[in-house]
Amino acid sequence: MQKFTFLSPLDLLIATVLVLAAGTISILLRLGLEKSLAVAASRCVLQLGMVGLVLEKIFGIDHPLPVLAWLAVMVTLASNEAVKRAKWNYRGITLDAVITMAFSAMIVGAIVTQAVIKVRPWYSPQYVIPLLGMILGNSLNGISLCLDRLTEHLTSRTTEIELLLAFGATRSEAMAEPLQTAVKTGMIPIINNMSVAGIVSLPGMMTGQILAGAPPIQAVGYQIVVMFMIAAANALGSMSIATLASRRLMEPHGRLRLDRLNRSKKPASRKKALGKKG
Amino acid sequence: MAESTFNILKGPSGCGKSTLLHQIVGMKAAKGAKRILGGESFDRNMLPEWRSKVTIMMQNAPLLTGTVRENLAFPFRLKNSGGRTFHWNKARWLMHETGLDHVKPEQDAKMLSGGERHRLALVRALLWSPTVILADEPLGGLDEAIAQRCLDLLQEYSSRPGKAVLCVLHNFDHLEATGRTFNLP
Repeated sequence: MQKFTFLSPLDLLIATVLVLAAGTISILLRLGLEKSLAVAASRCVLQLGMVGLVLEKIFGIDHPLPVLAWLAVMVTLASNEAVKRAKWNYRGITLDAVITMAFSAMIVGAIVTQAVIKVRPWYSPQYVIPLLGMILGNSLNGISLCLDRLTEHLTSRTTEIELLLAFGATRSEAMAEPLQTAVKTGMIPIINNMSVAGIVSLPGMMTGQILAGAPPIQAVGYQIVVMFMIAAANALGSMSIATLASRRLMEPHGRLRLDRLNRSKKPASRKKALGKKG
Repeated sequence: MAESTFNILKGPSGCGKSTLLHQIVGMKAAKGAKRILGGESFDRNMLPEWRSKVTIMMQNAPLLTGTVRENLAFPFRLKNSGGRTFHWNKARWLMHETGLDHVKPEQDAKMLSGGERHRLALVRALLWSPTVILADEPLGGLDEAIAQRCLDLLQEYSSRPGKAVLCVLHNFDHLEATGRTFNLP
């Protein structure tokens, strides 16, 4: 195995030149992005720096409690982000997202860390935290897509669902199609990612391992595990959030409760970006 | 409402006729509502079953995405279909009676005109043959002759043993109910 190259603060400073170059281009072309770029770059440094410090501490303690606590923080943050990204929300959506994230990450994470990689001790933060982080980061995307699709279906095709109910459809019959399309939508990104893996670019985790000196074949092995793990987490997550949400939006005896839906406020930065695209 | 009667629900527009029909089938909240059919009482949990017996034809005759045949046949695949089976011959005959001869079974239902949609909804309701039909302006977008034919079918249905119809109608002020006329203020 090759040696791991340690980065010094000076190396990072040199890397800063790169982001400064991006800023210069923004100024030269009058893109007006230099401020957002500076804020984003500083946030990136701060957030990663803090995570690095916390991880160093957790790695040092060698006890399951801090690992589990950190996982809980990650689940909460990921759930919040998934909810924030969804176009519609309802009372209890955050709780549903937390349940979904915890459920899918726990099942898939347990299988991967305990049965596939056989992490010892079982909580070894070096494996558990980055793997669970990848599961959560990817489920987040799938969950918000799935929620969007579900609410979009319910709001745009309300009369069709009511028509089914009018003839005596049960909740599960009336919700079958919205659920199917929502779960399908939640799974599209990972299916796309799997089918182009390695062709368009080397996936991030594999790149990281190769940079860290792992043999490419081993890195490929890990990447395959990760892809499958994300696929399973996305499927479980989408199914779970769609089921939970549809239970909130239709009563057991089949009455739609779209009055429980509220349009989410879009974060300002995203609104701007969308406006520019349009 | 008594068996074998045609009942009319009247009232100025916006007085809540549609809302009342939706409340009867439990698609809108109705606190303290009691649902009794043929002496049998239906509680909230039995609403899907109730709706398969007391079926609403909603205003504007909504359709499912799919073909004409799928739109006629879907109720028969539901758990609460109660053993009813879909007969294409019967559908064909009712389509003929309502002037839908030109409509093909594999045609995309979304391509139908407003009047054709209303007639298809009527055909579906009659095929489905629930105990009670709640019809919310079932003759929308139909010219006079066809509207009269559809009304005749609906009235004939209401006169059968064990059936009844409650109807909200526009432009049929002269029509007499064989059962009751409910006036909403």
